[in-house]
Amino acid sequence: MLAKLIVYCAYYLKSADWYRHSKVFFYDLLENSHSRKKKYFDATMIGLLILSVIFLIYDIEHNDSKMGGYFELAILMIFVAEYFIRGWIHSDAYKVIIEEHEKALYLNLNLNLSSVFKKIAARDLEYIWSPFAIIDILAILPSYRPLDILRIFIIFRLFKLFRYSDSAKLFADALASKRYELSTLLIFTCFLVFIAGVSIYMFEYQAAGSNINNLFDAFYWTIVTLATVGYGDITPQTTGGRWVAIFLILASLGVLSFFTSILIAAFSEKMLSVRESRTYAQLDRYNSFIIICGFGRVGQEIARHLHNERQKFVVIDRTPHKIALAKQRGYLAIENDASNNEVLINAGICRAASAILCITGDDVINVYITLTSRHLNKNLRIISRANRHDNVNKLYQAGADNVIRPFEIAGLLAAEFVGQPVAFEAISGILHNQTEIVMESVLVSEKSPLDNQQIGQLDLAQRKLTLLGVISDNPIHLKHKNKYQVKELHFYFNPETKFILRHGDMLVLLGRKYGIDHFRDQVEQRRLFSRTRA
Amino acid sequence: MKHIAVFGYNRLSFEAISRLDKELFQITVIDQNPAKTALAAENGFETANIDFRSGDDLKLIGIGSHIDTLFCFFDADSENVFLTLSARALDKELNIIAIVDSPESAEKLLAAGANKIIDPYEICGRKIHDMLKRPDIHDIFDHTVFGRHDLHLAEVTIPENSYLENAHISQLQLSSQYNLLLIGIVNKQISAQLHFVVEEFDRRLSVGDILVILGPSREIRAFKKDVENEFCKI
Repeated sequence: MLAKLIVYCAYYLKSADWYRHSKVFFYDLLENSHSRKKKYFDATMIGLLILSVIFLIYDIEHNDSKMGGYFELAILMIFVAEYFIRGWIHSDAYKVIIEEHEKALYLNLNLNLSSVFKKIAARDLEYIWSPFAIIDILAILPSYRPLDILRIFIIFRLFKLFRYSDSAKLFADALASKRYELSTLLIFTCFLVFIAGVSIYMFEYQAAGSNINNLFDAFYWTIVTLATVGYGDITPQTTGGRWVAIFLILASLGVLSFFTSILIAAFSEKMLSVRESRTYAQLDRYNSFIIICGFGRVGQEIARHLHNERQKFVVIDRTPHKIALAKQRGYLAIENDASNNEVLINAGICRAASAILCITGDDVINVYITLTSRHLNKNLRIISRANRHDNVNKLYQAGADNVIRPFEIAGLLAAEFVGQPVAFEAISGILHNQTEIVMESVLVSEKSPLDNQQIGQLDLAQRKLTLLGVISDNPIHLKHKNKYQVKELHFYFNPETKFILRHGDMLVLLGRKYGIDHFRDQVEQRRLFSRTRA
Repeated sequence: MKHIAVFGYNRLSFEAISRLDKELFQITVIDQNPAKTALAAENGFETANIDFRSGDDLKLIGIGSHIDTLFCFFDADSENVFLTLSARALDKELNIIAIVDSPESAEKLLAAGANKIIDPYEICGRKIHDMLKRPDIHDIFDHTVFGRHDLHLAEVTIPENSYLENAHISQLQLSSQYNLLLIGIVNKQISAQLHFVVEEFDRRLSVGDILVILGPSREIRAFKKDVENEFCKI
């Protein structure tokens, strides 16, 4: 009966919207590192922690201040609530119950409640013994008045900062990565302290003028000397004791320099990933950006254009000096291998990346990055560079949307230039926006005044615009001549004056930039005007 | 018939010369590497085996005499600069087109006397940027004007005694008569700048004007033929 009730409750929780919503809400607030809520929450908690420590210091001089007491209580409540909610998010008890219930159902057995509770308890214990949970408890316990001796541990609350701040985490990570070296050093130091401590004790104990009266004094002196602090309150008086001091000082120089070098190495190794994670964090804030893989000449050229247009992008390259160059120019850059899934995922290929450019000088790498990106994101626009003609099809097979061949384009341009230099200069100027005259498209949207209008009526010559053609996928136009198929679309070159535009068509116009913009604005205004009248 | 000397046989030069009309251009390929020269010969190009460092050798293949255009397509910028410099010394009128590997070399090549610099990486970068910015127009142009479809750019110079002399641009009616679009006009005597046609409706054409037109090749041929015909009337 009890088992049935528990299972029923578990199913109810599973299906209940409020339960799920509240869990998601608290998950976003406490654990989800991508959510904005967590950032605000973390900042608030850091503020509270610092305040509570300030109150502790204030309390030392002003016993039993009333305000401090209330504040302390409020903070305590928040900490306790946070502790339990984290436990709740971690545990997912109802899932365990449902799982066990379904297993029992399948095997035709009765649900064994004790084993279910054991499993739930194991999950809870796992939470309780996790390092962060222990720090949380340490922050809560000292507030319990009967354990007044623990009040000093309130200072441990500051450890909670590790939870809320990435840089503190980083510090701990850097130390943790050198665990082996540090533990070796620790063992050696312990030996040293022990040997030196015991020897000085042997030599100096009860010697004339000596301050070493017990073993604790001996160890105290050893550590003060080892740390090169040397207060001078205890000094060796006997010749033997002085020899110990000489030996200890020499050895401690080694220990300290070893310790410093470990720390420096740990941080400089970590710095690289710190910079990288800063880049990732910045990318996280963008809603749309382009990934450029390969920062050779081609990549630099594209980056320059994108930078001028204030488009967001990130450069990924393996070569340190190229990344240094990219950073020097103020671009976001990641020094890593772009064919690595993790790098692309961290860069946000599945999130906000709108396009990826695989433009390294090596076709093998380009194919590999193309394949990886297509595998990770089906809808991404992928533009790849083929340095050899025979690799074009491989890149398309790998999933590229466009393949570009630098040498072929350059060859084509050289040939065009020899054949007809004037026409070539004219069109390349227009295509690359080097002249005041540009080529742009204007979309015929639904309910636009252009919809169902004949081209002859548009009065384009008056507007000083040339119509090169119309791009459309509308089958209604297929009867017209001069059509050129481009992928799924048709390009109708030089359409007749009686060509009727339909919505979805695109006019390709040649003219001055502001002429085309003005035309587009007018069309849009008239569309909005006609809608408001309707 | 124009004569072109191509120095350096590689992917780029292969692409360039295989797009040139064999009937209009006579091409000679020169490379320091005998294996590449052999490859060019295998692909049906005329080859010559000379040392580009020697002025006499350059004269031998016709630089300073019948060669009109020089392609400096060596891989190393320094070699291209050297070749440009030597060739310019031999012929002031030579049309020299050079590729450039690193951007700093562009100025050096221009100073050495090249007429046109082609930077494959820059072009490629600009093209990819264009692809990102306006994919629709880019695709259309890639497939039509620069691609397999029969839509071409052409330039037509107005000869003496042509019926077009002194005609108004508005009288041309290229789009209805020939299915051609007139993009602009350049008058080399005045400047190399393109005058955009829609803005200069009342302009009169004169001898030497170059019309930049866009259209199918059949129509371009027909128009060119008519332009050269004195007796054709508008």
